Amino acid sequence: MLKLMTGMNLRDRGAAYWERSPKWKRVALAISFIAFFYALPFLNNPLINTPGSDFQSVLFYPVGMYVLMAIGLNIVVGKSGLLDLGYVAFFAIGAYTMAILGTKTSLNFWEILPIGVGLAMLSGVLLGSPTLRLRGDYLAIVTLGFGEIVRIFAVNTDSIGGARGIAGVPTPPDLFKAKFTILDPKPYYWLLLTFTLLIIWMVRRMAARRPGRAWDAIRQDDDVAQLMGINTRKYKVWAFVLGAAVAGVGGVIYASQIMSIVPDQFNLNISILILACVVFGGIGNLWGVILGAVLLAFTPERIRFLSQPRILVFGIALVVMMNLRPDGILPKKKREHFDPNWDKVEESGEGAIK
Amino acid sequence: MDFALLRDAFWGLTFDGIALGAIYALISLGYTLVYGVLRLINFAHSEVFMIGTFASLVTATGLMGVNIEDDPRTGVSMIFTLLVCLVIAMLASAITAVLVEIVAYRRLRQRGATKLATLISAIGVSISLVELFRILTDSLPREFPRIMDKTFLFSFAGADIRNDKVLVIIAAGLMMFALERFITKSRLGKGIRAVSMDENTSTLMGVNINRVITVTFFAGGLMAGAAAFFYILVYENTSFKVGFFLGISAFTAAVLGGIGNLKGALFGGFALGLMETWTSAVFGTAWKAVISFVILVLVLLIKPTGLFGESIQQARV
Amino acid sequence: MSENVLELKNLTMKFGGVTALNEVNLVVKKGEILALIGPNGAGKTTVFNVITGVYKPTSGDVVFQGKSILGIKRHKITKLGIARTFQNIRLFGESTALENVVTGADVHSKSGVVGSIFGTPRSRREEKANLERSLELLEFIGIKKRAGQLGKNLPYGDQRRLEIARALATNPKLLLLDEPAAGFNPAEKVALAETIKKIRDAGYTILLIEHDMSLIMGVSDRVVVLDFGTKIADGTTKEVQNDPRVIEAYLGAPADAS
Repeated sequence: MLKLMTGMNLRDRGAAYWERSPKWKRVALAISFIAFFYALPFLNNPLINTPGSDFQSVLFYPVGMYVLMAIGLNIVVGKSGLLDLGYVAFFAIGAYTMAILGTKTSLNFWEILPIGVGLAMLSGVLLGSPTLRLRGDYLAIVTLGFGEIVRIFAVNTDSIGGARGIAGVPTPPDLFKAKFTILDPKPYYWLLLTFTLLIIWMVRRMAARRPGRAWDAIRQDDDVAQLMGINTRKYKVWAFVLGAAVAGVGGVIYASQIMSIVPDQFNLNISILILACVVFGGIGNLWGVILGAVLLAFTPERIRFLSQPRILVFGIALVVMMNLRPDGILPKKKREHFDPNWDKVEESGEGAIK
Repeated sequence: MDFALLRDAFWGLTFDGIALGAIYALISLGYTLVYGVLRLINFAHSEVFMIGTFASLVTATGLMGVNIEDDPRTGVSMIFTLLVCLVIAMLASAITAVLVEIVAYRRLRQRGATKLATLISAIGVSISLVELFRILTDSLPREFPRIMDKTFLFSFAGADIRNDKVLVIIAAGLMMFALERFITKSRLGKGIRAVSMDENTSTLMGVNINRVITVTFFAGGLMAGAAAFFYILVYENTSFKVGFFLGISAFTAAVLGGIGNLKGALFGGFALGLMETWTSAVFGTAWKAVISFVILVLVLLIKPTGLFGESIQQARV
Repeated sequence: MSENVLELKNLTMKFGGVTALNEVNLVVKKGEILALIGPNGAGKTTVFNVITGVYKPTSGDVVFQGKSILGIKRHKITKLGIARTFQNIRLFGESTALENVVTGADVHSKSGVVGSIFGTPRSRREEKANLERSLELLEFIGIKKRAGQLGKNLPYGDQRRLEIARALATNPKLLLLDEPAAGFNPAEKVALAETIKKIRDAGYTILLIEHDMSLIMGVSDRVVVLDFGTKIADGTTKEVQNDPRVIEAYLGAPADAS
C-alpha cells in the first residue's frame, strides 16, 4: 500500500514540477528522458538484468511491445470505456500481413507496414460498426469471440500456414547503417521506440482536444454524450480503429523480428495481458498505462520464478487491482487546475483555484 | 461441407444434439439467473463448470476408487458411484460459484463500482482459475473412467440411442424441473424473482439482497455442477480449458433465449445444442466455436432481447 | 416564417399499457419562457425525452422551427438547436467544469479526429474559440472560479448551474430545463430565476419544468399544465393560477420542491 501511495504523490509532484518549469526546462527534460530510453539497451546494471533471457531482447518483447499495445488499448478501454477482449486479433492481422506479403511478394517492410496497419484498421471498422452499439458486457463477449475466430481461422486455413504458421518472414532493409538481423534486437527496439513515441504524441494531441473530450463523455455517460451533440457511434468506431492501427503496427514489427509466426501465439491470454496493463496503470491514464505495461512485462522476466505462473499472477492482479485500487497505480490527479496545453486559459490567470 | 452426413445421420445427430443441449441448458441457467439479479454476465461461470468436471474426476478416482482400467460397475454400485459423483460435483461447483461472488463481485457491487470494473474483476477470476488448473494438470487433459457401461438401448429411425445420453437428458430435465419449482414456490425463489424485477423495491419489501444473490449463485452453481458431471460422463475427458468453449456456447444459448429469462435459457440450450451438432456434421468440428460466435453476434444484432425477450434492460446503449 | 420555435402536435406516448402522454398539443414561441408543470408522473420529463429523441412517440409530431424532427438522431437534434438539462444531475463528473462546457461547445466544430492529430489551422481556431466561449459561459452563469474543478466535486448548486452552462454551450435555439431548482433553498431559487431571465434576455427560448410555483409565476410568460399525460390548461400565469382544473389537479396546495 505504501508503494501505491507514494505512486500517487509522485505523479502529482511530477506533474506539478512540470507545470512550474519554463519552456526550456521542459524541452530539456523531455529530450533527456527520450535519450535515456534510446540508450537503455546499453545499460548493464545488475538491478535490472534479466536472468534467463537477453535484456536487449526483453526490451523489445515483451516490454516494448506491451507498452505500445497498452497505449493502443487504452484509447479503446481506458478513454472510451469500450471493453475489448479481442485486441490480439489486430496484432495478429498486422503480423500475418507482414508474414504473408513478406514471404509471397517482393515488398519490403516499409511497403508492407501501411498495408498491415490499413488492414487492421479496416477490420476495426468491420468489427466495430455493427457491434459498438452493444452494451458493455455484450461487447466484451463479441470482441472476445472475434479474437478467437481470427485465431481459429488462422489455425484452420492452410493457405496461410495453418497450425504451423509462416516461417522465413523477411527482416526490414538496412536503415541508416543499422542492420536488422535476428542476432541484434537493438535496431528493432529503436524502431519500436520511435513508433511508440510518435504514437504517444498523436494520442496526447487527440486526448487534449475534441476527440478526447468526446471519448471521455462517452465513457462517463453515453446517453448524455449523445444529447450534448456527440455522434457517439462515430467516435466509438474511431477509438476502435485507432486502437487497431496501433496493434497493427506492433504486429508488423513483431513478425519481422521474430521471423516466424504461429497462430497460437495470438491467443486470448495476450488480450488479457494487455488489458491487465491498462487496468494496472489506471484506466485512461496514459503514463500510468505505460508504467503498468513496463512493470507487468518486465517483472516476470526479472523474477524468473514469477515467469511460469505469470498469467495466474496477472489474473490475480486484475482482481486485486479492481477491488482495492480501481484507479490504477498512478491514479488520475486529484488536484484541480487547468491543462497547460490551454495557453489562453493560463494567460487569463485562472490557473489556481481560490 | 458435408450435407450428406447430416442427412444420413440426422436422427442420430439430433439425439446427440438434445443431449448436448441438455448440458448447455443447465449451464446457461446459471448465466441467466445471475444476470437476472445482477444485470451482469458472470464471466467466471465457465470455470465453475470446469471445476465441477474435476470434482467429478477426483471423486470417481479418489473417493470412489474407480480406476481408468477398471471394468464399468453395475447395479447398485454403479448407481451409488454415479450419484456420489453427481452430488459432489454439484456441491463443488456451487461452493465455487459462491466464492467467486464473494471474491470478484461483492465488494465492487457494494461500492457501486462501474460495470467495466466488475467485468474486469470477473475476467481476472476466470483467468486465474484456468491458469491454476492448467498448472495443476500440467496442461494435459484428463480421462474419466467408465463407471457406467455404455450400451445402445434401442434404435430409432436409424439413430442408436445410447443409455448414458438418455440418462443425461432425463436427469437434466429433472434438475430443471426442480429449479423451476424452487424459483416459483419457495420463499428464496420468490426473492430471486423479486430482485431481478426491481432491486430497490425488493429491499424495501424486506428481501435480504445479499442472501438472495448468494443463493442465486449457489443455485446456478448446482446446475453447472450437474452439467459438469453429465458432460464428463458422456465425453469421458476434461481439461483446464473445457470451460471456455462450453461457457461461450451456454452463454450464447442464454442470449438466444433471452437473457434473464429461465424458459429462454432452456430453449436456447437445446436449440444451440442441436444447431451446433448439425452444423458440425456439415462443416466439421474445428469450426464449432465459430458457429457459436456467429449465432451470438447475429442474435445480438438482429434481436438482442433474444427469442423470449430479456426481462428488463436493453442490450443496446 | 413561424414565430413558433417548437410545436407538439397531438403527441401521444404509450409504454406498453401505460399512456404517458395523451394527444398533447403545445407551442413554444420564440423568445419566451414557457413553463411545463403538473403533479409527479404527469409526463413532463417524457415530453423532454420525446423532443430530444430519446423516445419515439407512439403518434403525433414534434415540429422544430417549422420542420418535423421525428426520427432524427439525438446528436443531430442537438446540432439543430435543442439542448437540455436533467432532473437528476448528469454531469461528466470525472471531467472538469470547463471540460464539461467545452464538450458542449464542440458540437458545432467541423474538425474532428484527423484535424486534432495534425493540428490543422481550422482545428486550432475552433479549439481556441470553443475555449473562450466556454469560459465566457462559465462567467455568465457565475461559476468561472470552478472552471478547473472536477464536476463531481462541485457543490450542488454549482453543479446545476454547470449543467445549464454545458447546455448553453451547444448554442441552442431552444433550451429545455428539467427542474433546475430542485434542492435549492429560497435564496438560491431567486438567484436562479434571475439567471433564467438573463438567459432569455440573451436571446434563448426556454421550456422549463418546475414544481416551485413562485419560481414559475415569477419567471414564466406562459404555462402549460399536464395531468396524467393530458394537457389540462394552457395560458398566461394568471390564467392558469386561477384555473379550477389546475387547482384540483394539485389538490389545492402548490408543491414546493424544497
